[in-house]
Order: sequence, then structure tokens, then C-alpha cells
Amino acid sequence: MTDPFVIDTADLRKRYDDGTEALRGLNLRVPAGSIFGFLGRNGAGKTTTIKLLLGMAYPTSGEARVFGLAASSPEASVAVRRRTGFVSEDKDLIDYLTVNGIIRFTAAFYPHWRRDLEERYRDRFELRPEQAIGTLSRGGRTKLALLLALCRGVELLVLDEPTSGLDPAMTEEVLQALVAHVAREGTTVFFSSHQIADVEQIADSVAIIDRGRSVLAGSLDDLRSQYRRIECVFDGDAPQPAFRTPGIVRVRRDGRVLTVIASGGVDAIRDEARDLGSVSVDAAPIPLKDIFLETVAAEE
Amino acid sequence: MLWYKSWLDTRWRFLIGLALLMCSAAGTVLEYPRVAALLPLVHPAPGGGTVARQIQEVVELSRDYRGYVWAQAFRQNLPQMATLFAVLLGIESLWAHSSRSATRFMLSLPVSRRRLLGVRAATGLGELFAITILPPLVVPLISPVIGSAYGVGAALAHGLCLFAACAVFFALALLLSTRFADVWRPLLIACAIAVALSLAGFAAGDLSHYSIFYLMTGESYFRTGNMPWLGLLTSAAASAALMYAAGVSISRRDF
Repeated sequence: MTDPFVIDTADLRKRYDDGTEALRGLNLRVPAGSIFGFLGRNGAGKTTTIKLLLGMAYPTSGEARVFGLAASSPEASVAVRRRTGFVSEDKDLIDYLTVNGIIRFTAAFYPHWRRDLEERYRDRFELRPEQAIGTLSRGGRTKLALLLALCRGVELLVLDEPTSGLDPAMTEEVLQALVAHVAREGTTVFFSSHQIADVEQIADSVAIIDRGRSVLAGSLDDLRSQYRRIECVFDGDAPQPAFRTPGIVRVRRDGRVLTVIASGGVDAIRDEARDLGSVSVDAAPIPLKDIFLETVAAEE
Repeated sequence: MLWYKSWLDTRWRFLIGLALLMCSAAGTVLEYPRVAALLPLVHPAPGGGTVARQIQEVVELSRDYRGYVWAQAFRQNLPQMATLFAVLLGIESLWAHSSRSATRFMLSLPVSRRRLLGVRAATGLGELFAITILPPLVVPLISPVIGSAYGVGAALAHGLCLFAACAVFFALALLLSTRFADVWRPLLIACAIAVALSLAGFAAGDLSHYSIFYLMTGESYFRTGNMPWLGLLTSAAASAALMYAAGVSISRRDF
């Protein structure tokens, strides 16, 4: 039976030799066929997670499985990478090769290399075959790295901050290429970012990581439908309440206004607020950016 | 493709090393007529110091062409340069921070680290083989130009000794490259170890026969005509052990 989760981590921990605790029990499940946004601040543990998934680093404890294979096993890791395309945060390439040279070099490792896509993306991204990689612009490197990942004919794309350092037009072009590719090929995409707008634009599921732990995960639609900002206005100063309803993410008092961020139980919270003497209670959906900020702030 | 990349990574070090060693070997041969002409003018140095004894030994060896080639090329110039280039070829910049970009790219490919290291080691050893075997062969090739002759078999024997001993320094540099995040420390440490072993060989007296440089110069072959098989096997075992340690080291490292 096919594993419903392409990526599955359980209590994944990573402590580097210098004592840095990059991951502190990460639990993550990436459904097959999804575009999964992995959100977190700088230093939250996103890149470390990706390194562990691809066998570039080893976990201190816990387990990471990709396609059901243990990522920490050197042999299984090779099999994982055979089925995975990767774009690193720094768009790592072999700088002394030419565009065509690195394409030929990479293609040699993938038996299902897509020559048709290679030609398509080389034209679309306007990459000159004989140009030295070292002379490419930041955008050019990103496009080339993306081409190399997309043409591998793989089931999973792991993209670490794919749009970092790109201008808005280039970001849009890269994201559109990605979405079109996924729509056509049905690839699972796991991409890390701290650009919430990018995640909101293309992801269907997200996880928020903070200080090495997953603090929120789910489908984007569910999060949007569940999360609400509830503003309760009082005649005098807002009280310091202790809500009993589960799902409260954060409560903030500001004069007469009590703002509650909740991931559910809106009606129950509304009732509790009225019991506290609130004269008006308004609940409104909140964008992913605010969900992210409130969740991360609540962790602090 | 891995072989091709490995070749691209090391080709300049290899080609420069090969050119320098071949020029050195050729220069030694072509210089012989002038040296031979000067020999009658050389008198024993006064005093009995180590340096004076060594100069006298070189003079005595140089009275015959075979002895001259051994003293100048196989005992001095080629081992020194070959050791340096063995270390340079062994240093693997792929694991260093300075080439982090290429490292991450390579590690994202479906290739095990041991295979990456294995291909790199094999390429380097192949290049080292060429660097240590071809220059000695220059000697019999151009000796007729100065009216002398040198056996191909002897050149090959010296080349083999040079290769086996240099392979140890190559493997040492490879191992050190897996332990440090820069290219300079492996280079300096491997060179320092080579210098220390060389000095230890000088100071060891009779025990110098067990020195790696004794093997490298092919001295026992030169003096007895017998190949130092035990030394060759010991060097091969040491090289294999160092390369195995490099494989273990790289397979556990975080990038």
C-alpha cells in the first residue's frame, strides 16, 4: 500500500557539536501530492530539517522517514535522493561548470530525466547553455537550480527558501512555473520559506516551526476556516479573563478591547466574553501571516 | 560523470605536478655532462662532519651515471616534489566550507558519500600513479641524448617505490580533508608530518631503513637490486587503512 505521507518525522531532534539545538522533537507529516509550506523564522530549524530529510546531516534522536525510508540510513538516503529534487537556500551549484555542463552532469544521475521539460524550462527561463554558472545572476541561479530539480522526473521536490533574494517579478515567475509543474506532474512539493505570501499563494498545507518544534500544521483551507480574531469590547477596561474554551492561541488586552486569537470554539468564546460583560463581540477570519505571527508570538 | 567531475576538480594540480616532475627528471639527465665534467675538480671536503660526508657520498655516486640519477632524481628531487603533489592531490576541497555550494549540490544527488570519496580517491591515485611513474620513465627516454643509457625496468622500479610511499601521504591528506572544514590545515598538517618523518629518518641511523622515505627513494633497490616488497606492501596497507578511515569519517559528518 502506498504511504499516504511522503515525509513523516517523529520526535526528531538535532543538536550540533557546538551545542545548538536546532530541532527539539519535530513531528511533521507531509501528505502525498500536496504542496506543503514549511514556515518558520530564520533559525527556526527549517534548513536543518531538510538536511536531515536528505541525509546531509544525522539526527541526534527521533526518526525521519521519506517515502517510508529511514533518512538517516546512508543506503536508504541514496534511494530517497533518487526520487527527490532539491533546491537549496543558497542555490548551490558547481560554479565552474556551464549551464549545459551542469544539466548534462545532473541528468546522468537520473534515469527518468525529462529532456522535454529541460528544453521547455531552458527556453522559459532564458538560460544560455554556454554561460558559466559563476556569472549567473541570483535570479539566473534560482532558475537553473529549479530546472535541475524539476527535470529529474522525481516524486518529491524539496525547496529551501526557493524565492529568497528574488525581486517580486522573478518570484512570481518562479512560483508560477512551480505550480504549473505540480499541476502537470502531480509531484509532492515540500518548501520552506519565511515569505508567507509565497506560501499562501501556492501551498495547500502548511506547518509552522518555531525553535525546532512544529507549533501548527494543517491544510491551509482548514486553518483559514478555523482561525478567528475575536474582538471583545467592554464598557470599561477589559478584564483579565481565563477562557475555558479550548483552542485559544493568544489573548491580548488593550484598554477596552480584548483580542482573542482562537483556532476554534468561536461561539463558546463569544458566550464566555458576553458572560464577562462584553458589549460587543466580533469574530473575523485572519490571514496566514497573522496566524503565523500570533502562533509564534504565543510560543514565546 | 563523477569521474569526470573528479578529474575537473584535480586536473590543474595533476598537470602542473606532472609537468614539474617531468621537467625535473629531464633536467637531471641533461645536466649530467656538466656535472661529470666538474667531478674531477671536486676534492674531499676537510673535516668529517655529516654534511661533508653526504657531499662526498653524492660526489662518489655521481661518478657513475646510474648513481648520479639515483642521488639527484630518485633520492632528492622527485621524492620531494612528489610528496608535495601527493598531498595536494589528496586534499579534497569538496568537504571544505570554501566549496560548500558544490558540496551541497553533490550531496543532493543519489550518490553515497563513500562512493563520492571512492571516486575521488581513485582519480587521485590514478593521477598520483602518473605523476610518480611517468617522470622516472623520462630518464631512460632521454638518456641517449647525452650518450648514456638507463634501464626502463630500473626507472619503473623507482617509480613504483615513489608511488607506494607517496600514496600514504595522499591518503593522509584525504583523511585530514574529511576532518577539517578548510583546505589549509590538511595541507599544512600533512606537509608537517612529511617533514617530521623525513627528519626522523635522518636522525634514526640504521633504523632509517624503516623510514617511508627509504622506501620512497628506492634505496634498497638501488643498492641491492631487490624490490622492497615488504615496504611496498606495508605502504599499501597503510594507505588503505587511511582511506578506510577517511570513508568512516565522511560517512558520519554533518553538512
